[in-house]
Amino acid sequence: MSTLTLKRAETQAPLARSDNPAQPFRVAGGLVDRTRPLSFRFDGRALTGFPGDTLASALLANGVRLVGRSFKYHRPRGILSAGSEEPNAIVELRTGARREPNTRATVAELYDGLEASSQNRWPSLAFDALGVNALAAPIFAAGFYYKTFMWPAAFWEKLYEPMIRRAAGLGRAANAPDPDHYDRMFAHCDVLVIGGGPAGLSAALAAGRMGARVILVDEDSRPGGRLLAERREIDGRPAADWAAQALAELASMPEVRILPRTTLFGVYDHGSYGAVERVSDHLAVPPAHTPRQRLWRIAAKRAVLAAGAIERPHVFGGNDRPGVMLAGAVRTYLNRFGVLPGKRIAVLTSSDDGWRTAADVLAAGGTVAAVIDTRPSVPAELRRPVEAAGGRVLTGSFVSGTKGHLALSAIEVSDASGRFDQIACDCLAMANGWNPIVHLDSHLSRRPVWREDIHAFVPGTLPSGMTAAGSAAGDFALADCLSGGARAGQEAAATCGFDGAAAPAPQTDPESVSHTPLWRAPRTKGKAFADFQNDVAVSDIELAHREGFRAVELLKRYTTLGMATDQGKTSNLAGLSIMAELTGQPIPSVGTTVFRPPYTPIAIGAFAGHHRGKEFRATRHVPSHAWAEENGCVFVETGLWLRPAYFPRKGEADWMESVNREVDTVRAKVGVCDVTTLGKVDIQGKDALAFIERVTANPFGTLAIGKARYAILLREDGFVLDDGTVARMSDSHYVMTCSTANAARVMQHLEYARQWLWPELDVQIVSISEQWAQYAVAGPRARDTLKGVIDPGFDISNEAFPFLACADVTVGGGIPARLFRISFSGELAYEIAVPAAYGDAAWRAIMAAGTPYGITAYGSEALSVMRIEKGHAAGAEINGQTTARDIGLGGMLAKKKDYVGRLMKERAALTDPQRPILVGFKPVDASQRLRAGSHFLGVGETPSLAADQGYLTSVAYSPSLKSWIGIGLIRGGTERHGERVRAYDPVRGGDVEVEICSPVFVDPKEEKLRV
Amino acid sequence: MSEIATTSSWRPRSAWAGFAKPGRQGRAGAEPGVILDLREGIGLATIILADGQDEALARALSERFGFAPPAPGAAAFASGRGLVWAGPGQWLAVAPSRADLAGFGEALAGLAAVTDQSDSRAVVRVSGPQARTALSKGVGVDLHPRAFRAGSAAGTGISHIVAQIWQLDDAPTYELAVPRSFAGSFWGWLTESAAEYGCEVRGLPR
Repeated sequence: MSTLTLKRAETQAPLARSDNPAQPFRVAGGLVDRTRPLSFRFDGRALTGFPGDTLASALLANGVRLVGRSFKYHRPRGILSAGSEEPNAIVELRTGARREPNTRATVAELYDGLEASSQNRWPSLAFDALGVNALAAPIFAAGFYYKTFMWPAAFWEKLYEPMIRRAAGLGRAANAPDPDHYDRMFAHCDVLVIGGGPAGLSAALAAGRMGARVILVDEDSRPGGRLLAERREIDGRPAADWAAQALAELASMPEVRILPRTTLFGVYDHGSYGAVERVSDHLAVPPAHTPRQRLWRIAAKRAVLAAGAIERPHVFGGNDRPGVMLAGAVRTYLNRFGVLPGKRIAVLTSSDDGWRTAADVLAAGGTVAAVIDTRPSVPAELRRPVEAAGGRVLTGSFVSGTKGHLALSAIEVSDASGRFDQIACDCLAMANGWNPIVHLDSHLSRRPVWREDIHAFVPGTLPSGMTAAGSAAGDFALADCLSGGARAGQEAAATCGFDGAAAPAPQTDPESVSHTPLWRAPRTKGKAFADFQNDVAVSDIELAHREGFRAVELLKRYTTLGMATDQGKTSNLAGLSIMAELTGQPIPSVGTTVFRPPYTPIAIGAFAGHHRGKEFRATRHVPSHAWAEENGCVFVETGLWLRPAYFPRKGEADWMESVNREVDTVRAKVGVCDVTTLGKVDIQGKDALAFIERVTANPFGTLAIGKARYAILLREDGFVLDDGTVARMSDSHYVMTCSTANAARVMQHLEYARQWLWPELDVQIVSISEQWAQYAVAGPRARDTLKGVIDPGFDISNEAFPFLACADVTVGGGIPARLFRISFSGELAYEIAVPAAYGDAAWRAIMAAGTPYGITAYGSEALSVMRIEKGHAAGAEINGQTTARDIGLGGMLAKKKDYVGRLMKERAALTDPQRPILVGFKPVDASQRLRAGSHFLGVGETPSLAADQGYLTSVAYSPSLKSWIGIGLIRGGTERHGERVRAYDPVRGGDVEVEICSPVFVDPKEEKLRV
Repeated sequence: MSEIATTSSWRPRSAWAGFAKPGRQGRAGAEPGVILDLREGIGLATIILADGQDEALARALSERFGFAPPAPGAAAFASGRGLVWAGPGQWLAVAPSRADLAGFGEALAGLAAVTDQSDSRAVVRVSGPQARTALSKGVGVDLHPRAFRAGSAAGTGISHIVAQIWQLDDAPTYELAVPRSFAGSFWGWLTESAAEYGCEVRGLPR
């Protein structure tokens, strides 16, 4: 059935060899720019190439065939492929901070000054000491990790693991931070075309001509796919010309975006796709303000999968020797890069396709030593030109072994009758059919299906909105790629509502896809590799079969087949087919393993993008931040907020001295603290009070205008959600505050209650957390200080503005402000809120007004010390596991109203009298330090879970008491004041005898609060 | 509130202060690809519909602004004053100054809850030939003119920061509002995203 025509091979004059002695394997032709040689280094050796080369093509042009050492056996390895599937030519690129390990030479674009080095060899590539591993191969067989290094166990961490890591480690990561930046981009389109080969270009043209928004992604620097690699004709012109013209037309369409150097690495739900664009990887250093790489998140209504196919190697002894390559890759190096990968090239094929390699080599003036076809007979028109050129043709034969020290020098050929032959050659091109790239369509847990007629897996049910075209769909003929792609593009655009018919498919030269795969050589000498990158040989698969690891997922994990960074692109089917043969099953019954993103390795920097270092996540600044910074404040990260922690002054030895001074100053004079981070909620509407009654657990019905009240919010399950205050500003206008940590959570809870629980209530709520800067002014001189800030005319005397009053006032000469007389410190205290833009001015005004009274700024540390001194519960106590009773607020709960959490808090476990309850603790020896998290045990009791009575939730050094103090939850605490227990902290070696006491350490009669 | 500027000696501090520097940043060249105008001193207020007052509120807003409250995903502007849809029954009123919103709450009493938000957001106007591309680095919403045009609005997240975006004209010119406390992190993202195209910052923060 073969109709493959090799006429061009017969008629075309042999091309002249390059006279460039520096690149002895460079021949004429190809798409490289010969006017501008580039210099580069490989393992320190100076070499040259041309723009348009990859590192691999440039190495081959220079005659460098040994490129790396294999993972496990340190076998010499060369270049297998010409694409992103490369398992062998894995190198380190660049130096210093930009050093990048494990890159594939086949996709690394050459630039002037590129420095590359081989990996996994010591001391040198040609002489690798660990090559002795190959001699010890029997112990490195499948499952060796599981069988060896098992004992003595203590040897694992110190000896075995470091040894294995050194022996098997691939590249070395850079030691310095990445100096480049990475970018992110969202994109939307009607039709996403994945792959810019014949099918992809046709699809993009069809959809683009109809006016659809099209994004075409191609992983190569130059879209075109196999059109750039094959000597084919489209409409009578070279295929590469057709590709160039198609690209030019696409570039002229305003709604078409072409993304070269972009790998579509993942398919996600609802038509969303991940891609990475290598913006500057082809340059030594990215130009200023240009990212190194850009991560694209693409939302597409439809997608055309035109990702192409990957050629399959043959499996025979020594198939990994440098010089053994994929037949299609040989054509790529020849036709696209003008590089003939060998002086005497042999071809091993099971398809008509492989004969193209022979034809192209002859056309380029190269020597074809032999073509070995595994099929019993081959049409005369295929054989004729090879034989005419003096090449041998062996049918019904296979390669059973290879020879050569660090690279191929000869192959051994056998046939069914046992005839044996040796043929000298330095390059063997393997053609064993192609596998459609089914990775991307399988990312959403779909499985590919086997097509017996083409001996390959093809996409099964595709993700919604996706169609496959061209060789990705199993249509390997160029004519089918062009017509199938155009059809898919037209249909995709039509589904998005665009009109237009596909143009007639262009004509191609005749072709044949006749193919009968040979899964492995029937007889062979030496290790026959299925997976090159992970050094998995046929013998390993046989071992897995013998030991019962036959299911495909077990085979994978036991042998590590397909688990290398190439995800088994060239190896998976070899492994499956051999297991099928061993178990006597058809290939589809063996099945496939799961394909997961990313399709090729993606740098973590591309995912991080802008979000590295200080930009890892957003930072929120308080309105007094500028003043705090000017005054040497030490900040603390609480959630996203950067809060002032304390304000050290000259001569203060450590943080505690500063915090003590701040506390003492507040208790004796006055202090100001930025509490803007608290959540603030505006509640309005006819039913505002009814709403507040239902979300708070304490009664509110009697709250007068101009009054504020402490508020407890419960979750629906009866635990405490948060606490805060509610202030009534006018008849139907309330302001709720809540804790910093729970600000978003409370807002969410309120919206849920408003929208879902009681949509019938006429209530409007909105966050005003960002609108108001809010400062706590606390201490005996707080009122005096505020008198200097609040405009004259507002009476804030104790009589006119008592504890828990609130009012609208103005400050600074007419600026609206809100004043609340509430206290977290236990002192005479106010919170004053001003519009956030005036927050900076207000802070400075308060500091100025308080200077005569000795004011101090205080931070979150002093705030925390004072609330512990007062026994106020905060985040450590309201931790999602405590009830109102647990934290001493049981008495405040409303008896006569319904509210969120009312019934659920009555569950037996939540009302158990034995539940730990909040009390205070002080060390018996006042000099001893307490540690939060310490658990309580009876004095003299042996530590055990059963003996555990509770734990210390918060501790502080109290400058007021000159002792450490703590509050915590302990069983029956309220009745145990005066009793002694141990605060036991085995993690930090703490074991302190403490006395149970009231949680209110300072001013228990609240005499300071109401003056 | 209209009296603030004239009677107070206190100076407001820009949300962008300490982060934004006026002038040219990023790639040099003749024309900046992105122009960032810091919007200072504007008035903002949340309007939330009271139960059953849809029609009355629409009438009142039409009288005041000259246009009906915009539908979901839309914004409407006239003479520098506008309404940006912000959620079901919610709009963000935008005015050239705080003073423009004085008495607004009283005017809509019973029809809607009006809450001053003039200080709650950092607002920046983004224009220039690469405005759309630069914003697409963080805006997940489709900004293509077939999907988002003058009069379009969206609530979204940019660089992990909640944001509102609306488009003023077909140039295109956008305005973005982010919570005030996030201004520094947002500015870092915005200027880094625009640097590739050359970026001009206008409107000196006070």
